[in-house]
Amino acid sequence: MKKRYWKFFSVLAGLALVLSACTDSTSSDPKKPTEQTAPKEDIGNFPMTVKNDGEIVDGVLTYGLVSDTPFEGTLNYAFYTGHPDAEILQFFDEALFRTNGDYEITNDGAATYELSADKKTMTIKIKDNVKWHDGEPVKAEDLEYAYLVIGHKDYTGVRYGDALIQGIVGMEEYHSGKASTISGIKVVDEKTLTITWKQANPSVLTGIWAYPLPKHYLKDIPIDQLAQSDKIRKNPIGFGPFKVKKIVPGESVEMVRNDDYYGGKPNLKGVIVKVVSPKVVLQSLKKGEIDIAEFPTDQYVGAKGTKNIQFVGKIDLAYNYIGFKLGRWDAKKQENVMDNPKFQDKRLRQAMAYAIDNKSVGEKLYHGLRFPATTLIPPSFPGYHDKEAKGYSYDPEKAKKLLDEAGYKDKDGDGLREDPNGKKFTIHFLAMSGSDVAEPLAKFYMQCWKDVGLDVQLVDGRLAEFNSFYDMVEKDDPKVDVFAAAWGTGTDVDPYGLYGRNVMFNYSRWVNEKNDELLEKGHSEQAFDKEYRKKIYNEWQALMNEEVPVIPTLYRSALYAVNNRVKNFTVDPSSQLTWKDVGVTAEKPEVE
Amino acid sequence: MVKFILRRIMMMIPQLFVLSVLIFLLAKAMPGDALTGQLANNPKMDAQTLAEMREKLGLNDPLYVQYTRWIKNLLHGDLGLSYVHQQPVTDLLAGRMWNTILLSLCILVLTYAIAVPLGVISGRWQDSWADKLIVGYSYVSFATPLFIFALIMLFLFGFKLGWFPTGGSVDIQLEEGTFDYYISKLNHLLLPSLSGALISTVGIIQYLRSEIIDTKVKDFVRTARAKGVPEAKIYSRHILRNSFLPIAAFLGYEITGLIGGSVFLESIFSYPGIGQLFLQSIMQRDYSVVTALVMISGLATLIGTLLSDIILSVVDPRIRID
Repeated sequence: MKKRYWKFFSVLAGLALVLSACTDSTSSDPKKPTEQTAPKEDIGNFPMTVKNDGEIVDGVLTYGLVSDTPFEGTLNYAFYTGHPDAEILQFFDEALFRTNGDYEITNDGAATYELSADKKTMTIKIKDNVKWHDGEPVKAEDLEYAYLVIGHKDYTGVRYGDALIQGIVGMEEYHSGKASTISGIKVVDEKTLTITWKQANPSVLTGIWAYPLPKHYLKDIPIDQLAQSDKIRKNPIGFGPFKVKKIVPGESVEMVRNDDYYGGKPNLKGVIVKVVSPKVVLQSLKKGEIDIAEFPTDQYVGAKGTKNIQFVGKIDLAYNYIGFKLGRWDAKKQENVMDNPKFQDKRLRQAMAYAIDNKSVGEKLYHGLRFPATTLIPPSFPGYHDKEAKGYSYDPEKAKKLLDEAGYKDKDGDGLREDPNGKKFTIHFLAMSGSDVAEPLAKFYMQCWKDVGLDVQLVDGRLAEFNSFYDMVEKDDPKVDVFAAAWGTGTDVDPYGLYGRNVMFNYSRWVNEKNDELLEKGHSEQAFDKEYRKKIYNEWQALMNEEVPVIPTLYRSALYAVNNRVKNFTVDPSSQLTWKDVGVTAEKPEVE
Repeated sequence: MVKFILRRIMMMIPQLFVLSVLIFLLAKAMPGDALTGQLANNPKMDAQTLAEMREKLGLNDPLYVQYTRWIKNLLHGDLGLSYVHQQPVTDLLAGRMWNTILLSLCILVLTYAIAVPLGVISGRWQDSWADKLIVGYSYVSFATPLFIFALIMLFLFGFKLGWFPTGGSVDIQLEEGTFDYYISKLNHLLLPSLSGALISTVGIIQYLRSEIIDTKVKDFVRTARAKGVPEAKIYSRHILRNSFLPIAAFLGYEITGLIGGSVFLESIFSYPGIGQLFLQSIMQRDYSVVTALVMISGLATLIGTLLSDIILSVVDPRIRID
């Protein structure tokens, strides 16, 4: 009797092991990052565009939204917050401008632009054949309407926080209700619009809000009810290459070709977008149930070599960092104050940067798909990332030397350093839970610091859940000395929004006059000259590396898995291929 | 009986009130709010706008003000607005609740369909090989975690054998209302509900088995046997009827479970239901959804226990309530 149980159990356990091995490659003993022998990947070796020489046939593509949860279904650029919603939006709506490899707007899209001599005013002309899905032309007033919605006091979304939107002449007056229109936005004629900003800022080229809202379609809905209206949730329209035909809330969306697309007839007959759990995304790809999916990088090693799919990838617009709490946010003055004495000595910060072995972290925990960061502008900004910058590579001896110089010495012989006054020196490290590798990663960093004699303890003795983490960081909880977090940069290279003196998201609370000056120059009128801007940002990257208020730790990769029948799919920001060009070369997806 | 039910319903009011205060305070005690850390991937935000948004959402008001506003709306049947979904909670729940009820109902039906015959067999032919097999199965199923079992089922029957669709609640390309549409819905339900049902049978099997074994040696059964009643009739008329009592009482509680949903099944099968919504709302501090869900499930639990008592008093004449 008992023996029979055992057999059954062992079969079940074996099965579970096999299955978990093929779904989750990170579960293989992540506790000892240094002892793992994993093959190292390099994002530089991934193609950015799929290879397929076949003839395009008329077919429907299935796109997998890799998510544990249903999508929210706020299908509008001005209102969405969740990433899955954005992935749906890309098929049926788009910005008026196309962008180049530096994410700067060009004149190849649905509209053209021209900047005035003082660079403060942009004239936008929408092309004639650009039409909403219901046949109405896209007009200048539609873009104006988008600004009127976002700037309105009843607006429920998050886009008003954008400095480029607030920086428009007359926007503040409109937002506070003093004016009924925005004086800086003028509709010149049906297709032409001008926007005037208070200051010239080169970031308009990468960050201008260029998503019009169909005024004729939405104008009767009160602004505070737009996001919940059926016209956005059930029957959204846009002017993109596909039209929404049907939505099963939270689960899937069916779209069909928009024959009147201004860029020409799309190659695909239709697109189906559906939610796929990350636990089964690889199986779904293998079986051809989905053609394309943003692939979880932690599963890549197990998925490599799958015959019916290709992987394309690029460096993500994001980086991980470790920040030092140097002060607090003064909400009244809207200013950062650097009044925390603990980490003011930059040698201590530099030492902690030298002490950590990010190369091992990247290779052992992320199979090379995350790799050591060298500056705070990631290489996904090829025009501004300083390739020469060395950053901090692992050098424990140098770390020890710096600590000795700064006076942090082990005086009582317990192997841990005391502060320059001879008092016990403990650093409280805040790290976030969530991913499979969160725990080993935090432990690894702590071990690295211990190796150079620093006593680092987790805040409250454990990892913090996402909300508690940001709650403590945002409110400058005195329990926190050092924290490990990440930023998505968006396509605007300007780091002011994360490191400026007057921005709350400067979580390290570091302020410095040179920094103020460089950040100001970086988005000045003069910085429209790319060479000049590059020079300024190189200086800024060097300054940040010298002062290390935050240690850039890892850059990340973004991967897509694509069925072999798909043609013209690209992740290359400089490519002119769009969803209109994507096609399939076989009726049915290839199956492994 | 009527008096009893009325009294129970009256008692629900203070119970629900206490629950509402508790859940409200607990929800607010979670660190952070819906806007915390929202911006790790959207650096285009400034402190002032964020403060304005908190003000607009009423997050800066004192707790008692927030509570009275919430309870007032609740009494008017308005569950508030989900910040994350930018949608009234009632609309949001309506869509998900239907899916969840369908799935749970399927699981319930399958569970009983599997467990009752097994329980009867194993109780009647106690210690036979069939009994051992059934008891073995029920232990193993009890010990199997749902998230592993559901994955195994999905890989085996969904991906390897291809008998069932592997995710979602319906094939989007089918037209709503057609015959194929409903078949597709049913087809999408089968695998997740089978996964759920196969490992939740243990309670019923064990209960039924031990009840039958207990009843089988009771005096009235012996009397019936002595009178020469055929064995089959003894089981159908005397033993089973008595053994089903606790199972019937179970049913009331099971109804409560109908609206809870299952985080694992929903996530693995990409099935939009309540379980995932609840988890997501807690993670993202979508208070209005969290409080609404807890209130609803609290109410359902109270009703469920009441139903259990009523069912029990109907089927068991010994415990009539006055």
